[in-house]
Amino acid sequence: MTFAWRAAGMNYLQYSSIAARALRRVAKQELQAEIAKRQGVAVKYAKWDSGKAGVSAAIPDVETRPKADN
Amino acid sequence: MSLFARTLKPATALARLSRQSARFYASETAAAAPAAGKLVVNFALPHAAILKGTEVNQVDMSAVSGDLGILADHVPTIEQLKPGVIDIISDSGSAKYFVSGGFAIMNPNSVLNINAIEAFKLEDLDPQAVATNLAESQRLASSAKDELTKEAAAIEVELYEAIQTALSGKSK
Repeated sequence: MTFAWRAAGMNYLQYSSIAARALRRVAKQELQAEIAKRQGVAVKYAKWDSGKAGVSAAIPDVETRPKADN
Repeated sequence: MSLFARTLKPATALARLSRQSARFYASETAAAAPAAGKLVVNFALPHAAILKGTEVNQVDMSAVSGDLGILADHVPTIEQLKPGVIDIISDSGSAKYFVSGGFAIMNPNSVLNINAIEAFKLEDLDPQAVATNLAESQRLASSAKDELTKEAAAIEVELYEAIQTALSGKSK
């Protein structure tokens, strides 16, 4: 079974963080201050070969709102 | 695990190390077996543990493979969760959480582990915000120029629609 988001070239980390961000956005206002503290998690990866790290790259976030709203 | 620990014991430095970073098999995680007909639930988010070793009667969830209700002695399984409601039913009533997605792991010994990135109680969600964000995501899903943004918006539409369904079901 292939998911539409995977067919579009997204990976599970991107998919799950889009969903998490979308859910945080609709929590009640009084919870938003607490939520802001756990926003902005990023993943970086590098492929190691013969004991040497390759180029480090970030898995980019797929944003659907202007930065300030996220 | 026990065999591994025994072989390390003679070397004290190593023994200390093995105590600090003790590893266990999944089958060893349940400290105490639950009472008959009960299910032990661990429900964890990256930033909080919502339930830790709590005995409940039933857990309803919506997985990618379909909606399911889990009772004690459920067959072991791993399910990918859709954005949806996790309904935890215990003697004191039902507690409904909306999760953004994650995994549920049913162990052979009536222990259910649920991992999600984000979860809120239904009453902590703002229906007004859901409606405005749904409209914005729907607009993006049909008009965004690049494929990834479009797909991301489609994921959001699915999530917001699931929240609306959950919230309307609650008021019935």
